[in-house]
Amino acid sequence: MGILKSKKYYLTFLLPGLCFYLFSVFYPILESLRLSMYQWNGIKDWKFIGIQNYEVLYRDRVFWIAVINNLKYLAIVVGMQVFIGLLVAIMLTGIGKSRNLIKTLYYIPSIITTIAISQLFRSIYSIEPMGLLNILAVKLSQGQLVKPWLSDIHTVLPAVSIPEGWRFIGLYMVIFYSALIALSNDVIEAGRIDGANQLQLLLYIKIPMIIPVIRMSLIMCLTGALRGFDIPFLLTNGGPGYFSELTTTYMYKKAFSSLQFGYGSSIAVFIVLESFIVVWLINLLYRNNQVEE
Amino acid sequence: MHTKRLKNGNLITTILFNTLVIGFLFIQIYPIVWLFVASLKPGLELVSQPFALPDSITLDNYRRVLSKSNIWIYMKNSMVVTGQALILIVFLSAWAGFAISKYRFKVNRLILSFFTMGIMIPIQVTLIPLFIFYSKMNILNTSISLILPQVGFALPISIMLFVSFFKFIPDEIIEAAIVDGANDLIIFFGLMLPLIRNTVITVLSMYSIFIWNDFIFANTFISDSARKTVSIGLQDYIGAYGNIDWGATFGAICISLIPPFAVYFLLNKWVIAGMTAGAAKG
Repeated sequence: MGILKSKKYYLTFLLPGLCFYLFSVFYPILESLRLSMYQWNGIKDWKFIGIQNYEVLYRDRVFWIAVINNLKYLAIVVGMQVFIGLLVAIMLTGIGKSRNLIKTLYYIPSIITTIAISQLFRSIYSIEPMGLLNILAVKLSQGQLVKPWLSDIHTVLPAVSIPEGWRFIGLYMVIFYSALIALSNDVIEAGRIDGANQLQLLLYIKIPMIIPVIRMSLIMCLTGALRGFDIPFLLTNGGPGYFSELTTTYMYKKAFSSLQFGYGSSIAVFIVLESFIVVWLINLLYRNNQVEE
Repeated sequence: MHTKRLKNGNLITTILFNTLVIGFLFIQIYPIVWLFVASLKPGLELVSQPFALPDSITLDNYRRVLSKSNIWIYMKNSMVVTGQALILIVFLSAWAGFAISKYRFKVNRLILSFFTMGIMIPIQVTLIPLFIFYSKMNILNTSISLILPQVGFALPISIMLFVSFFKFIPDEIIEAAIVDGANDLIIFFGLMLPLIRNTVITVLSMYSIFIWNDFIFANTFISDSARKTVSIGLQDYIGAYGNIDWGATFGAICISLIPPFAVYFLLNKWVIAGMTAGAAKG
């Protein structure tokens, strides 16, 4: 690989991008690690306190509530994006006409800014005036199901998770769909000759063949959900109480509302570690399955 | 092949699939259609019957947004940020991709995986360090404060796209150019640039949408309302007492959606290619 040899030009081409990347992606990680060892409220001097922030974090009840909420959020978002995405992709391969139009339309929510989506769902969940969901609730249950979805402690977490899941279903659907139609026809044809029916073809041939794509999608989707922020932040900002607090919204509050920059940084470090662990786990799972086969 | 499947499988499955796909499609699209319809409703009707088709269509909401708010300034700010960031993303990643794929140095593999590692890194980790850095340097509320992280976080995927494209360009073309006496700059700008056009369009179309829609960087680094981008400016229509002017909000949202929709409907093949590349390259 590669044919050119001039070191001077190589550095000319490589360094601008590398410097940008080092400064805006890597420096902040190292700096967060450093800041997480300090106490600073934005005004007074920096005070080195070692791992004290992490000790406080470990005992911080709200932080753990946020972590648990984040896992529930992740389950809903990943469930919607990967399962519904895969389901629709599979069904789409069985449809003859207008696949491209359907693909294009499904994708639209992914290109809309989060504030627009938040405002849209705020009005869907609204109770005064009645939003779409409550109008449906009146029709279906004579009003028993009508509730303020965003301030009811039992519904708020799903209510802030669903918009995020919903908006990227199209993205994952398109990913799975492209993978499914790119499969080589020979293998599928061989399976068909051996007498496999459509469902068997799907479960034993097609899905196993797109496992690498599913794995990458899971990584994208899980790390995406761990850093989920915009919609919960805009819709409820963690409330009521801490019932929809996520790790990212908690970090944001600690840093930019309470001005505990050191403490906020320790949460940021936690979020980075969490993402790395998830990627590592998925790769581990993937490798083990490969060995079994 | 389709007719064969119909004969083999059964008609019921096909009908079921069609119904379900259309059903899900309805869920995906209805809120957006409703948003547009609602933006054309008079204020009173929006409160009394928000989900009925409008009795009368009005442009009042749009008139209110365009005359009484800063939406033009916000749109301009968004364009400045998006435009500058895109130029940087394309050049920096095309150069780096070229260096990584066409130069014979052993570190290239390492450098590429260093870049692709960035895909996993949550953007929130940059907020506190960059906020502190910007306030020291006095560049909060500038377009630079947004462009830096936007470009940094775009590089992993766009470099990956360029690298995988450069692989398809045979080294012999470059060899021939060297024999003709071309230096490395001429090879890149004269020979490569025209060839990588498709990847450039992919990167441009995808990141124009991402950057236009950015919320978290703008919300953290921009507080001066003359500097706001459109994605955070949309919050303006939430009144001081928490009561929302829904008509104006929907109107403003529809206006802010024009640029990403234009890009998407003109270039949707490329947008989709770019956004799905992360998983497909796995």
